[in-house]
Amino acid sequence: MRHMQLRGHGHHWQLLPILCIGLLAVLPAGSLTVPQGRSVASAQTSRPAVASRAAPATTPELALRLQALLGQHSLLAADFMRGRIRGDEDFAQAANAALGKNTDAMGQLMGDLFGDATAKKFAPLWAEHIVELFTYAGGLADQDDDVRAEAREELIEYEQDLAGFFVDEAHGRLTTAAANRAMRMHVDHLLMQADAYAAKDYPTADRILRESYEHTYDLGATIADALLPAKEAAALQAPTWRLRSRLGKLLAEHVVLVEDVTRAAVTNTADFTAAGQSVNGNTRDLAAAMDILFGATAAKDFQSLWAYYVEQVVAYASGSAAGDATRRERARANLHDFEGRMAAFLESVTGKRLGSSSLANAFLVHDQMLLRHVDAFAGKDYGTAHQIAYETYEQMFDLARQLADAFGATVAARLPVGGPQTGYGGMADAVGRR
Amino acid sequence: MRAYPRIGLLAGVAVLLTALLTGAQPAADPAPLAPAPAAPPPLVADTFRSARTYPQVAAPLRLRIPALRVNSALQRLGLQADGTVAVPKRPDVAGWYEAGPRPGQDGPAVILGHVDSRAGPGIFFDLVRLPRGAVIEVDRADGSTATFRVTRVSRVAKTRFPTDLVYAPTLEPTLRLVTCGGSFDESRRSYRDNVIAFASLA
Repeated sequence: MRHMQLRGHGHHWQLLPILCIGLLAVLPAGSLTVPQGRSVASAQTSRPAVASRAAPATTPELALRLQALLGQHSLLAADFMRGRIRGDEDFAQAANAALGKNTDAMGQLMGDLFGDATAKKFAPLWAEHIVELFTYAGGLADQDDDVRAEAREELIEYEQDLAGFFVDEAHGRLTTAAANRAMRMHVDHLLMQADAYAAKDYPTADRILRESYEHTYDLGATIADALLPAKEAAALQAPTWRLRSRLGKLLAEHVVLVEDVTRAAVTNTADFTAAGQSVNGNTRDLAAAMDILFGATAAKDFQSLWAYYVEQVVAYASGSAAGDATRRERARANLHDFEGRMAAFLESVTGKRLGSSSLANAFLVHDQMLLRHVDAFAGKDYGTAHQIAYETYEQMFDLARQLADAFGATVAARLPVGGPQTGYGGMADAVGRR
Repeated sequence: MRAYPRIGLLAGVAVLLTALLTGAQPAADPAPLAPAPAAPPPLVADTFRSARTYPQVAAPLRLRIPALRVNSALQRLGLQADGTVAVPKRPDVAGWYEAGPRPGQDGPAVILGHVDSRAGPGIFFDLVRLPRGAVIEVDRADGSTATFRVTRVSRVAKTRFPTDLVYAPTLEPTLRLVTCGGSFDESRRSYRDNVIAFASLA
């Protein structure tokens, strides 16, 4: 096994502090602690109406968490790389700390899902590819093509190592070609979005980032399906699980994209338009999902409410950029109005399987987290901003799970019963012999 | 992950330089006017509008399964009073369950067809023989075609019909073709099993 390589290019000395954080972050679980031992959310918000669950216990729940952490990894890695490309070391450090937390959680989860021996082999392989991603971003920032090329080469090798690791652990249920393709795509996405970002081609950078998130999120299911015992993996085909997975992906992506667009709103930068297009893409996807579940009329009502909500969050960030407290407070009040209306809508479409008061409270907590993220980011407290973002992402998965279960139950109640009578018996002899 | 051009800082520097340069020039007027403060840059976020539409998927019109030489118009099917799904009126025409997703939407679209009539084979007579990987095409009202590939074909007792696996929403673009199979129960005038072909968007 190779060891992590820290390149000695003289003009990269300034990367050292951040790399040190990165290395600390990828040490075994427990090495990275939350400042002051308490979360930002628990310190500043009331108890969520949709209570955070204890550590997930069942295998399907752990597989969902693997998807969530892998998707989050791709987004935090992009954050980290983009901060480095901009030369914004404070931001990059904060993103790196969040990435380390994600890596810790992933290492622990691999142990919970597949055993400690597997987790032990996984951790260093995963850590090495993160270091090379950072090196690549440094090459972009410094316009050093040699560093980029070398990092790309190393990354490809690390990804092949990771692919080989997954193939070995799958014991014949994952082909080398499929594993290589999946891991290579992960690297390609992250490098291509970084290239586009460095070239200020923000629409391309953000489009690829959405693809990257989707790919890595789905990779979680592929890995779980291949590495879990067949009987446990079968649970991942259950419609209930798949609905949780898909809705969780859409809603968690929303969290990240809306945070992203508010950051661009606060800084009033040229990448705002692309970020706005990305969050609009997610809004369309969510509306399309509501169409499938509840029909076009309900989907239209949902999108109207959701669109208003996103606009208010952006308005709050814009008010922050303008230093206009009145605008911020107006946006906050409008969000409160949204929370009640969306809660009533969801209570109605689910036939009261979801209660509007607890839903309104859950949306209130969610909105408060988004606004505090804006405040922290506007104050250049990137560590707090990333920590809030991390917790908002996780909170949304809790909410998504409850929504998915209520949505699924609502739709199930109106599905056809029994098997259809699609034969009259004229060919019974032939049909019966098959 | 956004870019942060130091617009404010640059504006401040520009004002300062202007002031310094102005001060460095020979005074033409003993009481020069102070430079006008730079206007704040417009806020790009003020132009933001959320998306209020989403792509619609057109209704299916025709089913084609080259491997089975199937090429059929699609009848629209709903629910019957007893909660069972309606079936196509003609044995040689397939039907789409219109209360479910449209083929190509992110959910399980369901198409039913008869295995036989009272006198001969129906549109899905050979469904049980559809091989894995076989192509299924569904032409839609907007001229587009959704293409699927068969992932598996299974036969199940009607008493244990897997409603969840066939109809339950997953937010994944899939297709299920359903017909009858197994032995024929003469007393009930009904086949005992159903044959289900599962397919994913190609």
